[in-house]
Amino acid sequence: MEAKGLFNVARKEFIDHLTSRKFIIILGLFLIVSSIAVYQGVGDYNRELTQYKEQISQTKEVPVSWMPQKPSILLVFQRMSWQITMLGGILAIAMGFDLITREKESRSLKSLLSHPVFRDEVINGKALGGILALVFAAGIAIVISLAMLLLFSIVPTMDEFTRIIIFGTVTVLFLITYFAVALMMSTVSRDSGSSLIYALIILFALSFFMPTFANVVETSVVGEPPEFPGMHYVHIRSVNADKNESEAIISPPVTPVSEEEMKRYEEESNAYWEKRRAIHDAISVVVPNENFQAVTQVVLNPHFERFQYGVQYGEPPDAGEEKSLSEALGIVWKNILALVIFPLVFFAVAYVKFMRMDIR
Amino acid sequence: MIKTENLTKEYNGNKAVDSLNLEIAEGDIFGFLGPNGAGKSTTILMLVGLIEPTEGKCFINDIEVARNPLRVKEIIGYLPENVGFYPNMTAEQNLDYFARFYAMMDARQRKKRIEELLELVQLDGVSQKVGGYSRGMMQRLGLAQALLNDPAVLFLDEPTANLDPEGVFQYRKLIKQLSDEGKTIFVSSHILSEVSKVCKTIGIISKGRLIARGTLEELKTELSSVGVENMRIIVETIEPMPEITHGDIINAEYDETMRKVVIEARSDIRDYISSGLLEKGIRIREMRMEEPTLEDVFISVYRR
Repeated sequence: MEAKGLFNVARKEFIDHLTSRKFIIILGLFLIVSSIAVYQGVGDYNRELTQYKEQISQTKEVPVSWMPQKPSILLVFQRMSWQITMLGGILAIAMGFDLITREKESRSLKSLLSHPVFRDEVINGKALGGILALVFAAGIAIVISLAMLLLFSIVPTMDEFTRIIIFGTVTVLFLITYFAVALMMSTVSRDSGSSLIYALIILFALSFFMPTFANVVETSVVGEPPEFPGMHYVHIRSVNADKNESEAIISPPVTPVSEEEMKRYEEESNAYWEKRRAIHDAISVVVPNENFQAVTQVVLNPHFERFQYGVQYGEPPDAGEEKSLSEALGIVWKNILALVIFPLVFFAVAYVKFMRMDIR
Repeated sequence: MIKTENLTKEYNGNKAVDSLNLEIAEGDIFGFLGPNGAGKSTTILMLVGLIEPTEGKCFINDIEVARNPLRVKEIIGYLPENVGFYPNMTAEQNLDYFARFYAMMDARQRKKRIEELLELVQLDGVSQKVGGYSRGMMQRLGLAQALLNDPAVLFLDEPTANLDPEGVFQYRKLIKQLSDEGKTIFVSSHILSEVSKVCKTIGIISKGRLIARGTLEELKTELSSVGVENMRIIVETIEPMPEITHGDIINAEYDETMRKVVIEARSDIRDYISSGLLEKGIRIREMRMEEPTLEDVFISVYRR
């Protein structure tokens, strides 16, 4: 494969993206929302830092068995990751949905391919140009965030800085996933309108339908969670039938809870939630948003503890031991792998379709 | 220079081009004539390496197109039918993008060549983006992009479509100039008058098959014997004439004075008419047979 053609196409596509109105508008929106998220994150960080300092001063006066955790500036980027999930996906789709259909509609594809350039250089160049533009977009967002931190006199440590870079890399992988979806749709669709609609359907299906679907599958496979022993019953008693008023009466424990019963319940409950989590993980590994969130949660929270559906009995979710970066990445390697494989699959479909496309 | 061997292209079992054998010499201006859907554009697309033949081969300068499409694209220029460009770029930017694919052009050469070509197609000094171009301007820009690499072989698909009369005149002048430079030019069109004005040789394609090939005069002779069955004889006399009767006459239209008649006949019956009128003492002012025009011949051939 000649690199000259590839880089020529990539160069043109990169410039096209950066100068296109839709890219500038969505990127601008993306940066504004990210900056707001960072600003709010800095507020949260400063608040937690004040609390931390107060707790530290209290522990000097009254000895306690636990030490409070120092807040991390990574908190700032956790907020940002939520904005990226939705707006980033839209930005990536906006960049890719008409890459091929627009060429067909303007009939420039035939002109382009009549010059000495291989077809694979065209599709690969388009992909490369788009990826570079996404790297540029994510890079700007990260640089602005870091600049804002410095403006607030917050300097990240080396470990935090590395985690921010990894967050940026994962963000690019996430954006590339939806860019690849859009590029594929642009290759298989008849026109740009259809391509945009199909790409958005996939975005929304993966963002909203798949999590609901996962929940339904989990419940249908493992059923309801085991009942807590010695459960309290709640009776609803009508107190004024005319006005349709009623009151709730909570009964005392039906049966006394023995230690053995409690232990059995915990075992059953753990087994139940483990099974449920395994099903959830299996389904959500095909959802880019879930993979992105899984990785960013672990990378941006050194005290991350894998908890069950946000319910860690008796402990806050971030109360775990501090995890090194390699440990953190070890937890989410499947999600990272999925974020690499996903775009590759979509690119492969786009590539094959484009190579076989009838240019008439 | 251009050669095809049993070139065939099938779409869903239908042959768009059917065993096409063609040889076009260097320096020729070849007109590829045929009605819409005859297989002209499909043939060109195979010749320029944009689609692969289902069967057969084609060669440009002895290079097999399907095997070496890039080598072929280095030496050819192609103006597609309804040519398209990037609407967000200027003519210069569009041409520069395409020119970058050619190995032999550095930045300075590209700039010089683009300036020359834009001047040639009278688009120099036009700074607006291509999205705002008229169809005629697009066509002229298309011609410039086809000439970017100073090609040895030029393929033009419906080149005068969308051009105004001045544009058509300039185009014809340019084709003659390029031919004088020794370039081989392949012009595809369904407009006979256009092809007959610029082309040295002509090939006629119908339903994917080449049905005739030669110079304009050769074609006229070849096709008139098979293509047009009826002939028109116009007779003008000084005195009013009686009605002419003959077994080969299909139709005869006399004017009110009976001094002029247009006869449509199956054969040349001019001798029969002249001797008949002479016998009756009617002086003939004029008698001529209207030869079928090339247009009549082509229409007749296409309809067969």
